[in-house]
Amino acid sequence: MIRFDSVTKRYPGGHDALQNLNLEIAEGEMVFLAGHSGAGKSTLLKLIAAIERPTSGSVLVNNQNVGKMRRGAVPYLRRNIGLIFQDHKLLFDRSVIQNVLLPLQIAGFSRHDAASRARAALDKVGLLKREKANPITLSGGEQQRLCIARAVVSRPALLLADEPTGNLDAQYARDIMDMFKAFNQVGVTLVIASHDEDAIRTYAGRVLHLDHGVLQS
Amino acid sequence: MKTWLSHHRQAIVATLARMAQTPFATVFAVIAIGVALSLPAVLYVLLNNAARLAGTLPAQPEISVYMRMDATNAQINDLRQRLKARTDLADFRFVPRDTALVELSKQAGVADISAGLTQNPLPDAWVLTPRKAQPENITRIATALQALPYIDTVKQDSQWAQRLNALLDLGHDFVMLLAVLLGAALVAVSGNTIRLQILTRRAEIEVSQLIGATHRYIRRPFLYFGVLQGLFGGLAAWLVVAVSIDLLDRPVAELSALYHANFHLQSLGLIPGLTLLLSAMLLGGFGAYLTVTRTLFQTDAH
Ligand SMILES: Nc1ncnc2c1ncn2[C@@H]1O[C@H](COP(=O)(O)OP(=O)(O)O)[C@@H](O)[C@H]1O
Ligand SMILES: [Mg+2]
Repeated sequence: MIRFDSVTKRYPGGHDALQNLNLEIAEGEMVFLAGHSGAGKSTLLKLIAAIERPTSGSVLVNNQNVGKMRRGAVPYLRRNIGLIFQDHKLLFDRSVIQNVLLPLQIAGFSRHDAASRARAALDKVGLLKREKANPITLSGGEQQRLCIARAVVSRPALLLADEPTGNLDAQYARDIMDMFKAFNQVGVTLVIASHDEDAIRTYAGRVLHLDHGVLQS
Repeated sequence: MKTWLSHHRQAIVATLARMAQTPFATVFAVIAIGVALSLPAVLYVLLNNAARLAGTLPAQPEISVYMRMDATNAQINDLRQRLKARTDLADFRFVPRDTALVELSKQAGVADISAGLTQNPLPDAWVLTPRKAQPENITRIATALQALPYIDTVKQDSQWAQRLNALLDLGHDFVMLLAVLLGAALVAVSGNTIRLQILTRRAEIEVSQLIGATHRYIRRPFLYFGVLQGLFGGLAAWLVVAVSIDLLDRPVAELSALYHANFHLQSLGLIPGLTLLLSAMLLGGFGAYLTVTRTLFQTDAH
């Protein structure tokens, strides 16, 4: 499903965030991306979603070279990818359910379908009771779950999560990992970046180690 | 079609709600646009009234026609028939050469000269009043008459009409120029309010782009905003025109009464008014388009 061929990413004025990276992730896999802070985990996820473009090499997602994708085609790629951001990127000028509705509105769902889907997604992450609340009133763990609900509401085949358990205490982190496992069991491919090696080790699954932009094997 | 309509309605309602959130900014922008547009609109209306007035002026231009000295009575009658047949003449008057001489000698200082004449040097003459004052009209009549064999000279007094027309043309050019300049100002005003809108909605734009929003999707609400704001500005301008013309009409009517005329100002007609609204909407939308597109390419997540 995802394939990197000798991918190098150099930010303007910086060193190489990723160096000559080769990897392949099959459909239905759940892959952890481990490595110290600054190792290049976020950069790798951004390349998959065409938020950044590789300096050289090719990034294929579903056999599409997303590194060379037309600007106008990028939105349609992103609609098939659920993104869970390190900083959540929630909108505090609208309610919880409005946040979850946003991807559906963008994809052009009818109001009726969108509402029932959004409720289902909120129910899955245990936030249905807070649907009318402003996200700013949610705890850190709840905000993370809201971000997950928004990422899964359009039922993407691929979920990319950047430090999803970053600032959460162990119990919350476990809840979220269990949620990811459940998604994986229904066929969703997941790539989860985390610098927390201990959390990763407790889950069976493939782990990719990044060190200063180089993939360790 | 039905969903398309309901999409539009939703978008318009959402835009109105957004305008209501910042009532002062909205009102100021609408006033700025309205005043900018009302200036050329008021001038346009006044100019049209001036042109209308010029067409109805009581002082009609005249054409003087002088016959040859050897013109016969038969030829005079022939010309009389021809002039009667012309539909583009409001009036004509025959001035026989003898009468002309008598008139002339009545004038101070000329009497001595005419007394010394053994022969009347003046030709038979006609004074024509064309039905319409346009220079083309006058020239057409003059050329037709000049072609007759027994006519010596035709003098047309259409200079003032030409000057007035040139002046009105100049006025129209000026209004056009003003409209273009203030149209550009409208684009700038619209662009600026949209820029402020974008600043307050940066997070929403960024997130929307990250989760698959197209440029078109992001642009749409801002276009609605620009177009609706332009519409309100256009309506404000129309109102300004209507009120100013209404206020000016009374003094104008009083003035015209002094000249025993009954002249009233006409306000902005329906078609020019709708044109005003449409241009305001287009320019408002254009300003919004420019600003959003610029921002989108700046913030574009590569
Ligand atoms: N937008 C950017 N501009 C310049 N350098 C960047 C940018 N984003 C990341 N980097 C650099 O690239 C390297 C990898 O960063 P990142 O992918 O965020 O690592 P991680 O997510 O593993 O902490 C770091 O050295 C970081 O400073
Ligand atoms: Mg990171």
